[in-house]
Amino acid sequence: MSEHDESFAYRNFDTILRQVMAELNVTRMVTDYRIKADPDAPYFLISLRLGRARSSIKVSDMAIVEPAQDGGKITITDENWAPALLTRLWQEYGRDAVEQLTRFELIVHGANADVLEDMELDPGEELRSKVLDAVWRIFPEGFKVRHNLVDDQVMTILGTEHDMEDEWVRIAEELHEEMHHERKEDD
Amino acid sequence: MYEVLMFDGGVYKINELYELIEDVGGFVIQKTQVQVQITVTLAIPEEERPVIEAKTVELGGKLIDVPLAGTEIAVVAPTLGRHHMPHPTCDIAEQLRRAGAITVVMGLARGKGRRTAQISADEKAVIEEYDAAIFVLGNFKDCILEHKVKLFEDLEVPVVVVCGPEVGSLPSCEGLVCGVGRKVERMRREEEIHKLEEVSAQVEKVVRQKRQELDEDPLFVHPAEIKDRIAELEAVQQSLRPAPIVLHLDGLRVKIPYDEWKDQIADVEVYGRRLGDIAEITDSRLGGSTLIRIKTRAEVESR
Repeated sequence: MSEHDESFAYRNFDTILRQVMAELNVTRMVTDYRIKADPDAPYFLISLRLGRARSSIKVSDMAIVEPAQDGGKITITDENWAPALLTRLWQEYGRDAVEQLTRFELIVHGANADVLEDMELDPGEELRSKVLDAVWRIFPEGFKVRHNLVDDQVMTILGTEHDMEDEWVRIAEELHEEMHHERKEDD
Repeated sequence: MYEVLMFDGGVYKINELYELIEDVGGFVIQKTQVQVQITVTLAIPEEERPVIEAKTVELGGKLIDVPLAGTEIAVVAPTLGRHHMPHPTCDIAEQLRRAGAITVVMGLARGKGRRTAQISADEKAVIEEYDAAIFVLGNFKDCILEHKVKLFEDLEVPVVVVCGPEVGSLPSCEGLVCGVGRKVERMRREEEIHKLEEVSAQVEKVVRQKRQELDEDPLFVHPAEIKDRIAELEAVQQSLRPAPIVLHLDGLRVKIPYDEWKDQIADVEVYGRRLGDIAEITDSRLGGSTLIRIKTRAEVESR
């Protein structure tokens, strides 16, 4: 470990991670995070516990779909999914076909209500890439050699300047595992 | 020793101020007129300040201290990546501009990382063209103390280091400001503004020291005196660059190509002598510029 007191660095990384996550609008996506670094080694390790499972969701699970005159009417029940739903509908049917009546009500012209109900959304990918963007923004610039441990719940990224050492990978794996266990305790 | 001040007022009877500046042995460095308002950056012997203050009151203007006027300062970050830019590098540069300096922000080509951080001979030569350099470093004490100090250890210009952790002291630098570190937003909180003022104060200190050193073996002429004569050159008048002539503590940077204009610049007459005889005229590392370093009175007279 470094012989110097690196408390300033930890405080500062904590602040900039919070600010970057707020800027990218992913604060709610990350329920916990840890940063470990040893500038003497050198390695930099960041582990984030993600707030929501990355599995896809059916439209029928987050909205009520009814047949309308020339298409389907969607009433959103879980607003968290609204941006992802709207993006998907625009991709599928085009902007002109999607009419927003209110914040929660949409009419999709020319769409079959059954097809709309079965449509699956996976905003996880987009959100995950935003979280990764936040990580790249704070990760020390010169630490290009990286080792990633990513699953649905925890994202751990380890970086160094030259050769990656097994010991640091082991530390990363331990931290990754620890973040999983803490999740279970929280649950 | 000269003191640099800025007059801010109206144009009415402004010629009286110019005459007074000349009478006390001072120079006008820059004039910026907007309709009937004018700001004049001037350099006067420091003991003559009361006379200029009295005249300023008489003309209904105000006198502002611009301690860094007449200097060009490089603010250096390890890279131009978003890890180091734009904050706080740009905030520091802006703070120095408010104190009257002309600032240049530069990032090193291979300054990132820890052991891999390095500075090339070319980059050092570029930095040495300026009056002082500020190195804006990061968060890890180990990284700064063990590796980043190598970036500025051979530089001949005064260096001020701005970094995050409290490091006490650093070798090879004339000024040190701790407690800044990496930022992802502008420095606008009260304590951050105090830090910027601290950086500015440190730069003022090193510039003052350099001025005192120059005063021990004074220059043959003050750079501001040459500025007026060079400004008459056709290429300078036609230059579209925002500040075609920039004053340094011991010379000037003229933003016209050296190869084309070196002879005309050398032939400029200053107090009955050729500029080429009283100054070293060289090509700048930054393309399209010419550097003039004025020789000291002793150097000129010993020839």
